Amino acid sequence: MNAETIMRTSYIIVAAFYCFLSGVSPSGASEPYGKQQEQATDLGKTLGILVEKASAFQTLKTDFVQEKEMAMFRDKLVIAGRIYLRKPSTIAWHVDSPLKYSVLITDTRIRQWDEDTNKTQELSLKKNPVFRNVLNQLSVWFSGDYRSLLETHDAVIVQKKPIVIEFVPKENALTKKIIKSITLTFRKDETYLKQIRIREVSGDVTTIIFKNTVLNIPLDGSNFEVRGHV
Amino acid sequence: MFDRYFLLLHEFVQTHKRVVLITVVLMTVLAGIGLHFITFDSNIDVMLPHEQGIHRSIRFLRDSKLSDKVVVSLSLTTSGKNKKELVRAVDQLAASLNPPLVSTVTTGVSLPGIMDDDFFFAYAPQVLDQHDLSRIDGWINEDGVSTRLQRIYRQMLRPEGIFMGSLSRSDPLGIRMLLLGKMKKLSAASGYDVTVDNGYFLSLDGGHALMILETPVLMTDGPGCRKLVAYLKEKVEVLPDVVSADFIGGHFHTLSNEKVIKRDIGLAIAVASFAFLLLFIVVFRDLRIILVFLIPVVAVILSINLSTFLTGTLSYVVIGLGTVIAGISVDYGIHVYIAARRGGNVPLAIRHAAKFLSVCALTTIVGFSVLFFSQVQGYHQLSFFSILSVIISVILAFFVLPHALSWEQASFIFHPAFTDRLERLYSPKRIHVIVWALLTLAAAFFAVQVRFDVDITRLDGSEPAVFKAEENFSKVWGGQQGDQAIFVATGATFEEALEKNEGVYREAKRAVGEDRFSTLSMVLPSDETREENRARWNHFWKSGREERLRKLIQDIGPRYHFTERAFSPFFDNLTAPGNSRKADTILAHFRKQFVQKRADGYQILSFFPDTREDSDAMSAISEHYPGTFLVSRRALSRAISDVTAREVKLLASIALLFVAVLILVFFRSFAEALIALTPVVTSILWLFAFMTVFGLTLNVVNMVAGIVTIGLVLDYGIGMTYEYRHDMKAGTIIAVSLSALTTLIGTGVLLVADHPALFSIGVTLVISISAGYLTSILVVPSLCSYILPLRQHG
Repeated sequence: MNAETIMRTSYIIVAAFYCFLSGVSPSGASEPYGKQQEQATDLGKTLGILVEKASAFQTLKTDFVQEKEMAMFRDKLVIAGRIYLRKPSTIAWHVDSPLKYSVLITDTRIRQWDEDTNKTQELSLKKNPVFRNVLNQLSVWFSGDYRSLLETHDAVIVQKKPIVIEFVPKENALTKKIIKSITLTFRKDETYLKQIRIREVSGDVTTIIFKNTVLNIPLDGSNFEVRGHV
Repeated sequence: MFDRYFLLLHEFVQTHKRVVLITVVLMTVLAGIGLHFITFDSNIDVMLPHEQGIHRSIRFLRDSKLSDKVVVSLSLTTSGKNKKELVRAVDQLAASLNPPLVSTVTTGVSLPGIMDDDFFFAYAPQVLDQHDLSRIDGWINEDGVSTRLQRIYRQMLRPEGIFMGSLSRSDPLGIRMLLLGKMKKLSAASGYDVTVDNGYFLSLDGGHALMILETPVLMTDGPGCRKLVAYLKEKVEVLPDVVSADFIGGHFHTLSNEKVIKRDIGLAIAVASFAFLLLFIVVFRDLRIILVFLIPVVAVILSINLSTFLTGTLSYVVIGLGTVIAGISVDYGIHVYIAARRGGNVPLAIRHAAKFLSVCALTTIVGFSVLFFSQVQGYHQLSFFSILSVIISVILAFFVLPHALSWEQASFIFHPAFTDRLERLYSPKRIHVIVWALLTLAAAFFAVQVRFDVDITRLDGSEPAVFKAEENFSKVWGGQQGDQAIFVATGATFEEALEKNEGVYREAKRAVGEDRFSTLSMVLPSDETREENRARWNHFWKSGREERLRKLIQDIGPRYHFTERAFSPFFDNLTAPGNSRKADTILAHFRKQFVQKRADGYQILSFFPDTREDSDAMSAISEHYPGTFLVSRRALSRAISDVTAREVKLLASIALLFVAVLILVFFRSFAEALIALTPVVTSILWLFAFMTVFGLTLNVVNMVAGIVTIGLVLDYGIGMTYEYRHDMKAGTIIAVSLSALTTLIGTGVLLVADHPALFSIGVTLVISISAGYLTSILVVPSLCSYILPLRQHG
């Protein structure tokens, strides 16, 4: 009977919107992928080169230092650690100081551990939309799919040698209220990032500096182990 | 009196033979042309009782905005492709769908600002209630604040901390999580796994996208559905090969049911026509028998036109019974033909047969007429259509057929050996009665165990592809936890409906559980409640808690390197009015999904699992709130089952009473009437017994077939009792046997039908007619011989 189909269809529709309510997050943007504006040829070419070079690596290991200049903290917050990446979408983020912390991010779940609690926690990304969206963004930066940033950001080449590109969230992007700009600085050989700088609307600035980056290095399971990684 | 009028009419037709024949041919041709302009109703809803609760649910679903939507699930078919390809396909499809067939396309939702401070500070005071404030109060102490500040500090070290700084500054206690918790409850209760990615509805793995289409095409509009479905399929065909589409919507069921029924009808007509012709030509070896075959064809064609003209519409299910009606109405022609070919005085033989056939036609008409006492519109249509067919067939058989044939060279058609065999079969035998009595006794034991299937979805004859699409959808998007029922709260104004809904929600939380009842009131209380909540929020903070929290943060904050003004955005906005305009915009968006505006006011829809317990609990709540009602498949099925059971009892009683009176008047003997009724009682008992033994069930459609059977099988009983009384021998036996055979052909062809409604009608009729026929020729003569004295030509 059609009554059942109507009820089912209507519920699917309402459910879709329910899920939107729970899935809302500060990241992401509303501009459809397909409606993106054509970028300047120059930018397109540059990003094309960068994406091609980034596509040459399948694994990555890098140390990082993250500096956060935030109005809420008295001093600059400096975080040091390592990142391991295996394409397409497995990232391990290990923080060594000021507090030991590890998180393994995959397509569907995250697994994290911290020194304070010494507990390992596993979360489904399905149930953590905030995480999911943030991690999607990280995944784009770390894995080198820079072109997809153009779907939600306007971009300009700030410097050509070494390449520095500034991404500004588009007008109706959800991140527009939080992020003023994201500046990516590439290594001289253009194979990977040297630095990411995120300027927030509030004036806070986060800088992630990548050091000792090694591409296509053999990685084993221990690199992606979150508990007792130190 | 019968003889007088019969002769008058007979002579009139004979005098105007040419005009009458030309008129019949002309009317048939016109009616044949008319068939091409008739649209039939393929909706099974027409077979449902017009009871208030059922009608309200069906009307709600029809009139609601819900029924004009189609959900599309696009899937990547190649693993190497990513979601960019998928959303490009979504955009491509969305851009290609236009009015008039598709009015709106929703590919996702984009609502910037729901996490913004101005929305948070405007919305939280309105929606957080006493219980929430008590929880917040429990956090405003040294331990609570320390835990929360430590959590913020740790969060800043994590990847997500890159984006969370501003949010944490305006919400040190994590009050946003209380709001998100309320929203999450809606999501959890839904059971569907839809995520929103860059404004698109996507599955978690990014391999599937969801689109919602609104269309002005009604689900009941068969031609409209055909156009819509063809249009959607055409648009999907040009999508890249890496993307496939599944559609969910009532329109697909309507069209598919129509397609299946049409195919079934076509097949049934072809098989029945072939079988009729073959039977007639083999048995009668006379090409003129084609005219007998044409009688029901002409009758059905004329009846379809007349019924549609007079009743406005005809259901496909009714048309699907066309072969059954043909099988019934061909009998009159057969009887007249046999009477004429038995030799002797042809007009007299026809007149004798006509007398008996008139009673048979009358019982059949009575059988169908009782359906007018039903509340089911489809039964009325069936009744009207069938009665017309029978009347037209009778007229054609009595007055046109004899004049269309020349009987001068007629000779008796059956070989004496054949009639001898039939007579031997017919000869009264004690063993027939004993076997019949034993079998019927056993049948009675099983008959009382027959089950009535309340699940009307099993009569949905949509093709496997439609169900497959729904199965695929469930696999991707979830929702396998079972059907959902809708609770509807109405009000002349939105506020009135919202207040009612809020009251229902309070009770539903206790009755079915907060996690099982998804409602707008979770995230949007009424104006009055929001005002109360706002006042309570302000009082909560202004009565010392704000100061206490400031002090605690001041003392504990330095442990985690926070500055004194780290959380000033929170305190600066805590009791400020907030940006109510933005809040209103976002709340209006929530409303859109749950609220329907109608001419007489507003309806707020809430959802809960469609279990018996929950439906009962919500029904009880509904009784306390006038203007609220449930739309539940389970409750709907139950109501249909109850009403149908009541109806069947009523209709069967009326039918039996009518036919009993009729045959009493006809036979003027209680014993003969009782014997004539034996096949009817036997067929009902055997039908129910067969159904029980073979795991078949009664339903709203085959019940009516059972009632119609009363009128058909009674004819056999009357025929054989009448035959015994008048000692007519082989002529009647052959006629009854042929009648049964033709009716069995007409009903038996429905056994090849794919549509469950037609198939169940076929099964019911084949079993009951077979049982009734066998009882008539094997048992009735024996009963007559033991009970009745033989009367010669009474």
